[in-house]
Amino acid sequence: MQRKSGPDGALPPGSITFSDMSWNRTGSWRYLKPKFVRKFSPCSESCPAGNDVEGFLFLAGEGRYEEALAKILQESPFPGVCGRVCCHPCESACNRRISDDAVSIQGIERFVSQFEPSRPPQPGEPREEKVAVVGSGPAGLSCAYHLRRLGYSVTVFEKEDVLGGMLCLGIPRYRLPRRVLNRDIDRILALGIGLETGRRVGKDMSWDELLAGRDAVFLAIGAHAHVGLKIEGESCQGIMPGTGFLKKVNLGLPAALGRRVAVIGGGNTAMDCARVALRLGSRPVVVYRRTREEMPAIEAEVQEALEEGIEFEWLTSPVRALVDDGRVAGLQCTRNRLADPDDSGRRRPEPVEASEFVLDADTVITAVGEAVDLAVLPHGLKVEKGVVWIDSWGRTSMERIWAGGDSGPDQRMVVHAIGAGKKAALSIHATLRGNDIEGIAEPLRIGSSGSFSMERYLQGEQGGAVPVREVVRPEQINLDYFEHVPRIVQPRRAPSDRVQGFEEVNGGYDKNDADLEAKRCFHCGTCDLCGNCWRFCPDLCIRSGDVPGMNLLDDFHCKGCGICAEECPRSAIVMEREL
Amino acid sequence: MNPTMDPAKELMSPGHLACAGCGAAPAMRWALEALGPRTIVVMPACCWSIICGPYPHSALRVPTFHTAFETGAVTAAGIRASLDMQGLQDINVMVWAGDGGTFDIGFQALSAAAERNDDIIFVCYDNEAYMNTGIQRSSATPAGAWTTTTPGGKIRPKKNLVEIMAAHRIPYAATASIAFPDDFISKMTKAKGIKGTRFFHVLATCPTGWRIPSSHTVKLARLAVYSRAFPLYEVEDGERYTITVHPRDLPLRDYLEPQGRFRGLTKDQIEGLQEEVDRTWNRLTRLAGWSS
Repeated sequence: MQRKSGPDGALPPGSITFSDMSWNRTGSWRYLKPKFVRKFSPCSESCPAGNDVEGFLFLAGEGRYEEALAKILQESPFPGVCGRVCCHPCESACNRRISDDAVSIQGIERFVSQFEPSRPPQPGEPREEKVAVVGSGPAGLSCAYHLRRLGYSVTVFEKEDVLGGMLCLGIPRYRLPRRVLNRDIDRILALGIGLETGRRVGKDMSWDELLAGRDAVFLAIGAHAHVGLKIEGESCQGIMPGTGFLKKVNLGLPAALGRRVAVIGGGNTAMDCARVALRLGSRPVVVYRRTREEMPAIEAEVQEALEEGIEFEWLTSPVRALVDDGRVAGLQCTRNRLADPDDSGRRRPEPVEASEFVLDADTVITAVGEAVDLAVLPHGLKVEKGVVWIDSWGRTSMERIWAGGDSGPDQRMVVHAIGAGKKAALSIHATLRGNDIEGIAEPLRIGSSGSFSMERYLQGEQGGAVPVREVVRPEQINLDYFEHVPRIVQPRRAPSDRVQGFEEVNGGYDKNDADLEAKRCFHCGTCDLCGNCWRFCPDLCIRSGDVPGMNLLDDFHCKGCGICAEECPRSAIVMEREL
Repeated sequence: MNPTMDPAKELMSPGHLACAGCGAAPAMRWALEALGPRTIVVMPACCWSIICGPYPHSALRVPTFHTAFETGAVTAAGIRASLDMQGLQDINVMVWAGDGGTFDIGFQALSAAAERNDDIIFVCYDNEAYMNTGIQRSSATPAGAWTTTTPGGKIRPKKNLVEIMAAHRIPYAATASIAFPDDFISKMTKAKGIKGTRFFHVLATCPTGWRIPSSHTVKLARLAVYSRAFPLYEVEDGERYTITVHPRDLPLRDYLEPQGRFRGLTKDQIEGLQEEVDRTWNRLTRLAGWSS
C-alpha cells in the first residue's frame, strides 16, 4: 500500500495519495449484519388455495401474463373462476389497505386467466396407485388436478351429467359465464382424468364397489340438502329451496316463479336467488334477520343487488307462511333488534314484540344454508355437527377415505374448497408414499394459516434471497416510498341493462388498467430491485447479485448501520446479530 | 428502478472512516456521481477531512485538496484560476465543507468568492454542529438542540444561509437532502451546467450528534423535509425561488421527538419552534409564488 519511490526508497515529497481506502476492513466495527430475505406476503398467507399472490402480481405488473397464469396454476386450477367469484381473503389481508385500498388481486387474476399459461400444467411421472374423487365441484376437481400432477391415476365420480358442482349448478351465469368455467375444467381434464358422470356413489353404486381396487378416495359431495325455515305452512306450494331453484335455472329448466318473490337469507345464495328472480321478471325482496353489516354475502354482491333495485327487509324474520288453496299467499314476519353476539361473533337477532306484519309474496325461496346429505355417506363414517369429520389434513375416521369442501367443516366458499382439495391431495400422496404429512408440509407452509405451496413441493425452493418463514406486517412497510394511488374499479354494466338477461355483470380490466392495478402491489417481503439499499448505503456495500431479485452484501466493509433495512420499502432486509 | 449496482464504478471507495450511518457519506457519493470524474474536491477542516482517510490514502478517486478551516472557498477559487489559465474549463472545482467551515469559520472566504462570482461549486454538508470535535454548537445548530456547549438547548435559531447566499446574487443556490437522492442529483447536475458560484446546503444527518440510531439517518432527513423544518428548494440568480419537493402535512414534533438532542424540549417550546417553522415556510412559499 505504500509505494517506495526515489533512490533511497523514501516517500515522495508532497501530499500524493497512493490508494483508496478499500483496504480498510470497516466490517470489523459491526455487530449487526443485514440479510436479504424473502418473507411471506399477507395476501399469500391468507389465500386458502395457497396462491403465491405476490409472485403472480409481480409477473402481471411486468406484462408477463402467461407466466403469471402459470404461477397461479401451480396452486389452483381455477383462475377464471376465482378471478370472478372468490371471496378474496387476500384483499382483506392486503397491506396496501393502510395506505389507500387493497390491490384488486381478483381483478388481476381474472385478467391473466384469459391468456395461455407459459408452462401448462403437466401430469406427474405415472404412479401405480389409483384414487377416486367423489364430486366434481371445486374441492373434488382441485384434488384430482393436484393428484394428477403428483402422478396418480384419478377417476372423478359425479352424480349430475355436468361437471363443476355448485360452480355450475349454483352460481348464476351473470357472475360466472359457463365458457369461463368450462375453460378451467377443460384444463384440468386435459391432464388425463377418468370421468363417471350420472352415477351417485352411495346410491347408484356402493362405497365398497368404489373402494375396491382403489388406494384412496376423496369425498367431496358438497352440501346440497335443503334446510327448511321450520315455520308453519312451509310445505305448501310456492316455497322452494334456493339451491334447487338456482340449479333449475342453470340447467335451463323452467322455474315456476310468481310475481312477488320473497328470498329468505343473507348469504351469497340469497343474493343469487334474488338477482336471478329479478332477471326472470319477478319482483324479489330479500328478508334477512340481521342488518346489512352482518350479511355473510360478499359485499360486492349485496351492492350489485341494491344497484339492480332489489328490495331488502333487514332485521326481519318469517314466522308463518300464509296459505291459500295449498299455495303460499304471503309471509307473516316479525321485526328484530340486535342483541349480544352469538357463537359466530355476529350480533344475535331477537324479535321485537308486537311487530308482526304480512309481507306480500306468492313465491318464497329459502336460502338459509345447505346441509350435507348424510344418507349417502359410507356406513360408519364419523359425522360431527352435520358434516363429515376430518382432521387438519382431510383424513376422515375411515382408512383410505379423505374428505373436504362443503361436505366437511371448511368455510363454504369456492376458494376454501379449492384449498381443501389441494390439501387432501398432498395428504393422500404422503400416506400412499408412507411419509409423514406434517414432515412434508412443514417447509411448504405459507405463514401460519395452514395453506402451503405445491410449487415448492414439486420444484423445490427457488434461488435468490433467503426465505424467512415470517409474514410482513403492515407496520414493516415503509410507506414513504409509496404514493397514494386509488384502486381501479372494474367496469360493470349498467343495472338497467344487466337485469335484462344473464350476460356477465363485471367487465374486467383491460390491459392498461390491469397493468396499473398490478403495479399498486407493495410486494411485501420480496425484493423487486428498487435499489434503495444500494442508493442509501453510506459504505457502498450493496451490489447486484447474479440471481435476479437478489442483491449482495460487501461483508468486508459493511458497518452494520441498518439504513438498508430501514429504507427497504417492503421489509425484505433484516438485521441479524453477529456477536 | 433496477439500477446497475456496482460499487467499482463509484468515485468513492468503501473503507472510509465515517461513523456507521453517516449522512455525509451518501451525500459525497451522489455529488461525485452527478459531477463525474473530472472534478477536484477542496476540503477545509470538517468531518470529511477524517472520513477521507489518512495519508497516503484517500477514499475519493478524484483529486482532493485538504486545506485550512477558513480557506475552502478561496482555495477553490485559486485552483479554478489555475485551471482556467491552463484552459481546463471542463474540470469542476467543488468545495466540500461542513457547517463550521461554511456558516462560521469559512464564511468570509465564501462570501468573498460569491461576491466575485468565482466559478466554483460550494457544498455545505450540514450536520448542525461541530460533530467531529465533540458536538459543539455552530450557527447552523437549530434552536432547541442540545450540544455539549448548549446543554440546555440552543436559544437562537439556525442561520438562513441560502437566503444570505441568494443575496449575493449568485446564479444558483439550493438546499438538498440525503433522503431525496433524485432531487439531490438533479440539482447537482443542473448546477454543473451553470457558470459562476453555485451553493448547496445539504442537510446530512449525524446519528452520533443527533442522538438517533444509525439506521434512522435517512428517515430523519426525510422527516425534516416533510415537516418543513428543512424545505427543499432552489434560488436562481438570487431571485427565482422554486420549491422542489412538496412537504407533507406533518407537525414539527414528528421530526423532533425521535431525536435525543431535542429530548429536553417542553411542549411550549415545541410549539414555539413550530411557529418559527411556519413563519419560515410561509415566507418561502411567498418567495416561490405559491402564496401572496
